[in-house]
Amino acid sequence: MPVSPEHTSREQGPWQKFKRLKRGYYSFILLCSLILISCFAELIFNSKAIVVQYQTNLYWPVFSSAIEGKEFGLPYEYETNYRQLKKDWAKDSSSHSNFVILPLIPYNATEVDLADGSYPPQPPNIASQHYLGTDTIGRDVLVRLVYGFRIAIFFAITLLLVEYFFGVLIGCFMGFLGGTFDIIFQRIIEVWSNIPFLYIVMIMSSLITPGFWSLVFIMALFGWMSMTWYMRSASYKEANRDYVLAAKMMGASNFRIIYKHIIPNAMSTIITFIPFSVAGGITALTALDFLNFGLPAPAPSWGELLKQGVDNLDYPWIISSVVFSLSFVLMLVTFIGEGIREVFDPKHKIYYE
Amino acid sequence: MNKSILSISIHSAWVFILTTNIVFAAMLPNNIEWLTNTDSLEWSSKDAQKGGLLRLNISSFPPTLRTVGPDSNNSFRSFLLDNQMPLVDMHPNTGEIIPMLASHWAYDADGKTVYYKIKDNARWSDGLPVTADDFLFALKFNRSKDIVAPWYNKHFSEEIIDVIKYDSRTIAIVGARKKPNKDLHYYYSIQPKAEHFHKLNIQWVSKFNWKIEPNTGPYQITKIRKGKTIEFNRKPDWWAQDDRFLRNRFNVDKVLIKTVRDPNTAFKYFERGELDVFNLTIPKLWHEKSNGPMFKKGFIHKLSFYNQVEQGASGLFLNLDNTILQDINVRKAIAHGLNFDKIIKQLLRNDYQRLPTFHTGYGDYSNNEIKPLDFSLKKAAALLDSLGWDNKDHLGIRKKGQNRLSFTISYGNKLHEPQIIVLAEEAKKAGIELIPQFLESTSFYKNVIEKKHDIAWLGWSTGFRPAYWQHFHSDNAHKAQTNNITNLADPTIDGLINKYRQSTVELERIQLAHQLESKIAAQTIFIPSTMAPFTRAGFWRWLKLPKADATKTSQSLFNPFHPTQGGLFWIDAKSKIDSLSAKRSGKGFEASTIINTDYQVVKP
Repeated sequence: MPVSPEHTSREQGPWQKFKRLKRGYYSFILLCSLILISCFAELIFNSKAIVVQYQTNLYWPVFSSAIEGKEFGLPYEYETNYRQLKKDWAKDSSSHSNFVILPLIPYNATEVDLADGSYPPQPPNIASQHYLGTDTIGRDVLVRLVYGFRIAIFFAITLLLVEYFFGVLIGCFMGFLGGTFDIIFQRIIEVWSNIPFLYIVMIMSSLITPGFWSLVFIMALFGWMSMTWYMRSASYKEANRDYVLAAKMMGASNFRIIYKHIIPNAMSTIITFIPFSVAGGITALTALDFLNFGLPAPAPSWGELLKQGVDNLDYPWIISSVVFSLSFVLMLVTFIGEGIREVFDPKHKIYYE
Repeated sequence: MNKSILSISIHSAWVFILTTNIVFAAMLPNNIEWLTNTDSLEWSSKDAQKGGLLRLNISSFPPTLRTVGPDSNNSFRSFLLDNQMPLVDMHPNTGEIIPMLASHWAYDADGKTVYYKIKDNARWSDGLPVTADDFLFALKFNRSKDIVAPWYNKHFSEEIIDVIKYDSRTIAIVGARKKPNKDLHYYYSIQPKAEHFHKLNIQWVSKFNWKIEPNTGPYQITKIRKGKTIEFNRKPDWWAQDDRFLRNRFNVDKVLIKTVRDPNTAFKYFERGELDVFNLTIPKLWHEKSNGPMFKKGFIHKLSFYNQVEQGASGLFLNLDNTILQDINVRKAIAHGLNFDKIIKQLLRNDYQRLPTFHTGYGDYSNNEIKPLDFSLKKAAALLDSLGWDNKDHLGIRKKGQNRLSFTISYGNKLHEPQIIVLAEEAKKAGIELIPQFLESTSFYKNVIEKKHDIAWLGWSTGFRPAYWQHFHSDNAHKAQTNNITNLADPTIDGLINKYRQSTVELERIQLAHQLESKIAAQTIFIPSTMAPFTRAGFWRWLKLPKADATKTSQSLFNPFHPTQGGLFWIDAKSKIDSLSAKRSGKGFEASTIINTDYQVVKP
């Protein structure tokens, strides 16, 4: 008879086990750092300065609302161009007490950097700090990759949470309750799964301009079904176990049994699927953006960059940057997934009394 | 009982009408004056040599050779239609009426009817003469349900009322509405259809898919390799080859049209010498791609030709249903806040120009005095400050009370996105937020035609004459499915539009058009974007053009068939032999890039 995971923890917890699998573990660390960096992207990739010292005042443009040029003695009333300000002050010796500290890469994701005599896209150039060049409109490719990554990864995570919440809940109830509820939902899911998702997205995005949340909604609407089958079979199996029967006898409600007993025991199934769902979420958003049905312009997006790259193979820095980033992130996620699967692999875990 | 009597009498009435039609042929009015044109200058070159092969490309093989009916509106159709001569056409440089299929024309006093005398020698490609009956049949054909072309059915019933035969070579075309005489030719034109060829029945659409229809133009299809190529051959003794305005033209013997799906591949074919000409209007092609060895060694020449054709009215359309946009000074401030100079200089490589006004390039009808409002943050700020839009939020966008100065700018074509993004970035400097909103093209169209937009970025296709009523009359404001997408409703403008529509005197119409154009421009409901008032091409050096290169109204430099603009070039056989041997031996010639500004209106 299989023993519940708590028994195995005597030897080694899943985390310790995961840590031992170097490839998955380092991928996990790397991905987490990427996510962390992207969360603070405004401090690293931004056209706004981090600190400006002007005369006796200190300014924190990144954290404040738009500061007009006249605030720094410039002849305009729109938001200060800090790159220009830094250059001007560097040239002007009388303003030696003034300084500007710019982020590492002084461009933001929607800013168009155009110059007379040269036309976008511009190839990678260290002097102008476009380390991966600019896109066909003149926006920095690296900056758009970073902000695009942030959107894609949080989109994937949000989508995963929504899908899993409904998928797991409905799946568990199907398995646990069985009977008519199970039959009805089985049929609903079968019918629902056969609706062509892409057409629905095309129709929807012709009716509304899609945004982050509406895309999460639409995709979750057609994505919650996949988890239900796994959870249904998992809870079907657990429902007749002694501990569930015991809980039932003690008068626990269905919700309590599912949340306190069945889901924790089916956790390994859920966790194993997570990395692959994240990868799926990222590729889905990228594909939609590629097909023009995703997030509206000028939102930074990998799909949009990919489209630009494919349309402009003469400018290889666009396509190579995005293809490399996409493959790299998906590879990390896959390695993590592989590691997790290994950890929860019943072959390593289950032993018989 | 009563019913049957009635039906008999109706029946006999029909018989009566039919018989009268047969017995009494229509009579020409006595007081008409036959006109022709033998004075206008010809625009072809006497140096032109006959002979040679021209190879062109199209991006997809036509799904049918029919020119009407399902799938017929494809890019190949113009090759077929250009080989059907019109009765008369307009001189490509002066706009005068010149004879084509008809030798003479005359106007009826009713202002709706034009009489034509068909040239005696006019022949179909199968040798049969073109007669009045072919025009009668054309009307019947275009009205027939068998061709499955509702637009044609409607146009040839509601716009063209009748075609009347006087004798085998004389006809009249009757239009629905009065127009200035010259305009009648355009609005009420009809091309003959070979009656001996078409069999109208329910199977016409499928039976005539791949049949080669007799034509009256200089070339006819001789060979089709489905999915690959279509070959046109010059008719050895074309009936019009010595006619004024048509002689020394249509010089190459053979025109081969190849299907090359991918434009990049097509360009490679061109550089290898497998295509003779290539359109280079797109800035990237003209400036970047056309610098290869064949260009540098002078095998391929480049020519940019400024023309004067109607320019599509493209730009931003401001919806007056938006309460903030109702203020004319807000509209002016927006216009001042749009940095089109930057777009032209830094995105479009300085070779596009700012479109001056809605109707540009309509010849005398265009008001060339009008200039769009310039980019000036100062003027925009002054206007907005005076209106109380003087607070700014944390993003630097202007506010007035609770309202933010923010508009969505909808567009339906991804090609425009770079320009819109740059405009929006720049407008921010004026404290105006423009939020780009891409809508898939059909829903964009729906959104705009139902007037749900704040600001829409689009371009209207051109017409023959300025069209004010559909775009600016209050009849069409605040209604879905009409073209007045700015919802302009101004009584003075309405009055002028009504006058313009009723007038049949050309000079008066021109004056009214000028007045209207400046009144509409003053409303700042349309902010013009850019135009490309030229056509550019690359061509192998053996292709020669007349001294003037092309005509004032040329849309393409190497159009092989068009009745007025086409067929001006020829192939210099000796030059071709020399060039090919030079290419083999690795020699070269002097590179050539010509920019012809003879017809440039606004010199930058």
